[in-house]
Amino acid sequence: MKPRLPLAVVSGYLGAGKTTLINRLLSEPHGLRLLVMVNDFGAINIDADLLAEAGDDTMTLTNGCVCCTMGADLYMAIGDVLDRDTRPDYLVIEASGIADPARIAQVAMAEPDLVYGGIATVVDGQTYASLVADPLIGAQIERQTSVADLVLISKLDHPDPALTLRLGVQSRAAVVDLAERNALAPLLFGGAPRTIPMVKGQAHAPYVTWSSSSPIQLDHEALLAKLNTRPAGLFRFKGFVAGPSGRGWEVHCVGPAVSVKPISQAQGTKVVGIGLEGQINPEQIENWWLD
Amino acid sequence: MSDIVVYSAKKIITMDVNRPEATHVAVRNGEVLAVGDARCADQWGTVTHDDSLKDAVLMPGFIEAHAHMMAGAMWEYAYAGFHDRIDPDGKLWPGLTDIDAVIGGLSDYAQGLDDDAPLVGWGFDPIFLKTERLSKKHLDQISTTKPIAILYSNLHLMCVNSVALEMAGFDHTTNAEGVIKGPDGTPTGELQEMAAMFPVMRRLNIDFRGLSQKETSIRAYADVSRRAGVTTVTDLYSEMEEEDVATMLRVTGEDSYPLRIVPALGAMSGPKAIADKAEALAKRSTDKLRLGAVKLMTDGAIQGWTARIKSPGYVGGQPNGIWNTPPEVIFQLVEELNSRGIQMHIHVNGDEAAEVALNAIEAALRKHPWMGHRHVLQHCQMMGRDLFTRAADMGLCCNIFANHIYYFGDQHVAMTIGVDRAERMDGARSAIDAGVNIAIHSDAPVTPMAPLFTAWCAVNRQTTSGRTLGHAQQITVQEALFAITLGAAYTLKLDREIGSIQTGKRADFTVLGDDPTKVDPMALKDVPVLGTVFGGRVHLL
Repeated sequence: MKPRLPLAVVSGYLGAGKTTLINRLLSEPHGLRLLVMVNDFGAINIDADLLAEAGDDTMTLTNGCVCCTMGADLYMAIGDVLDRDTRPDYLVIEASGIADPARIAQVAMAEPDLVYGGIATVVDGQTYASLVADPLIGAQIERQTSVADLVLISKLDHPDPALTLRLGVQSRAAVVDLAERNALAPLLFGGAPRTIPMVKGQAHAPYVTWSSSSPIQLDHEALLAKLNTRPAGLFRFKGFVAGPSGRGWEVHCVGPAVSVKPISQAQGTKVVGIGLEGQINPEQIENWWLD
Repeated sequence: MSDIVVYSAKKIITMDVNRPEATHVAVRNGEVLAVGDARCADQWGTVTHDDSLKDAVLMPGFIEAHAHMMAGAMWEYAYAGFHDRIDPDGKLWPGLTDIDAVIGGLSDYAQGLDDDAPLVGWGFDPIFLKTERLSKKHLDQISTTKPIAILYSNLHLMCVNSVALEMAGFDHTTNAEGVIKGPDGTPTGELQEMAAMFPVMRRLNIDFRGLSQKETSIRAYADVSRRAGVTTVTDLYSEMEEEDVATMLRVTGEDSYPLRIVPALGAMSGPKAIADKAEALAKRSTDKLRLGAVKLMTDGAIQGWTARIKSPGYVGGQPNGIWNTPPEVIFQLVEELNSRGIQMHIHVNGDEAAEVALNAIEAALRKHPWMGHRHVLQHCQMMGRDLFTRAADMGLCCNIFANHIYYFGDQHVAMTIGVDRAERMDGARSAIDAGVNIAIHSDAPVTPMAPLFTAWCAVNRQTTSGRTLGHAQQITVQEALFAITLGAAYTLKLDREIGSIQTGKRADFTVLGDDPTKVDPMALKDVPVLGTVFGGRVHLL
């Protein structure tokens, strides 16, 4: 059986910086083969050289369905990727500027062959306040942040604590200023960064990582109960958990979202956790998991 | 034998004011040579008389100015809707009006399927089944071995049986939003929205893309059209990939293909790219495939509470709808396409969407004035006199979704916009009085393609429950017949060639069993369609 394909959605209004974010991800040394699916109005600006260098791939989609909001093409294209002989390591969907990213991301909750990689919404720090006040489009833009598992603020020279607070309250998600991070792959894809690229003048490694291998066995109900008490600040938690009678679970938590899917043969319980430095430490994760 | 054929008819309704009625029409090389009596073409030389249509009433070939090619291809699946419907082969599918009928009808259909074929149905509408929700419990009565998926008419929901749930891995541990669970914690079979429907569609090989691009779909579209008396039809949101264009050119290019298709390219990329593509397509137009127009989306649908509507909003307090194209992009697209001389069809259901579209067109016309652009607002469901007047001021056409009154009118009164606004919905009277050139449409497959039924809706404004929704917006039979012929032709810039039976125009006729101008207006929808004449070729049913 082919491994499940993780799917992450990058959303944000026109000009928020979705494509810039994806180009940044492509240039990071995360070692993953990405497939980027673009579903938007306007020119596609994904950097072809970056794609080629990493052996990554891109697909451009249209939204040509009779029914105005169904967007069937996108899902059919996801089906095509799942049917490939060799699946990529990660599927990143750049949603259209007015799409509700939750409608897309839900497919990773429903489809057995996908795993939920979360919704990252990019917010233009300079224009957000006026955009969400727009009587025509404001509510739709606000929805993109309120369903996000990760909010990324772009285009600010200096962090704006008031905006960060506002977005955090609205979304229950981690809010990160893109200028303050030098590696984004851990946030978007989980997994500890292999190397933290050093950017001049910014030498911090802002992630806390933790992993555990243990004989723990949990049934579905007990696992969900456990996940519901996970510490705040544990941004990503994923891995395999053994269940009773040889079966088990594949677990993916991103921000507030929890996805648990059955696996037929568990190979013991192996999980990893990632958080943002200053918000959590490995002991806290360890204490929660082994409690 | 002469190359001039003179057809006799019981009556010919020409839609030409100069000679509104006639008994004979002469045809040469697919074109109307003369209209009048038996001797109308004598001065052109020797003629052949053809009396095969002598008992029929002829009208100009009907024009369905807003439909989708999927209307033909949906019939690959079992029809499970509430209203009676006729398939492309002429078979009547009686409406399934309660859950037992749904189970019985689909069980009969399942008998005819191969053992390993899934049962896929479409057109189911829960609004009409008030007793209980369709669930796996019902569908399991049809089969416990064959996967079953029944698509709802709005295409946003489906119901599946236990076999299909199992194939998709849906059980009590599933926590996806659209996988609905019952009190016992297991999925009920109802799946809401594509994300939840996708795992089943993928495993049952239901692929919407194929529905509108295959050769069989293009042929089925002609069958559906011919049964409705339609000789020119639109496909109002087409992707127009190179492969599709080649297939469409080949199939429509066959002499025996009895239909002219006017696709509109969906505006799904940047303004310049779309304009370039539309210009390139326009150069490849043929008589039966008219390319070059563009379709823009704006808002959603009123019955799904996704249309953008003005204050006071939806009666249930639902939030305002959504934009499928952001207003700022609508402005950019409209400006670019207008400046390049490309005709636009703009989807507007809610009145706020109509207003944004009008604002965008006004801004574009101030920059690039264009007399005779004939851009068309499509659906126009909540436009009032004020918005229609603006449309008239700017030379815009309005294609009004008249069928909606019958199919959804009761729901709009009860659940979406309330009685006062529902009574002025799809206001053809206001539009005509404001001086707008109108067409009326079915949006097939959303509602069945049948221009005489559409005309009946605009004339009588009767809903499914029998209520008359807004006397003030009724139009006359003559106005409605104009809207499905010459009015519709005008919106497609084809009024020089089609829309009336007149010397010099294409010999496209609808063959009717009765005179729609003489029957009781309430019987307009029952006037039998016997077939069509396309470019002088007779295609009876």
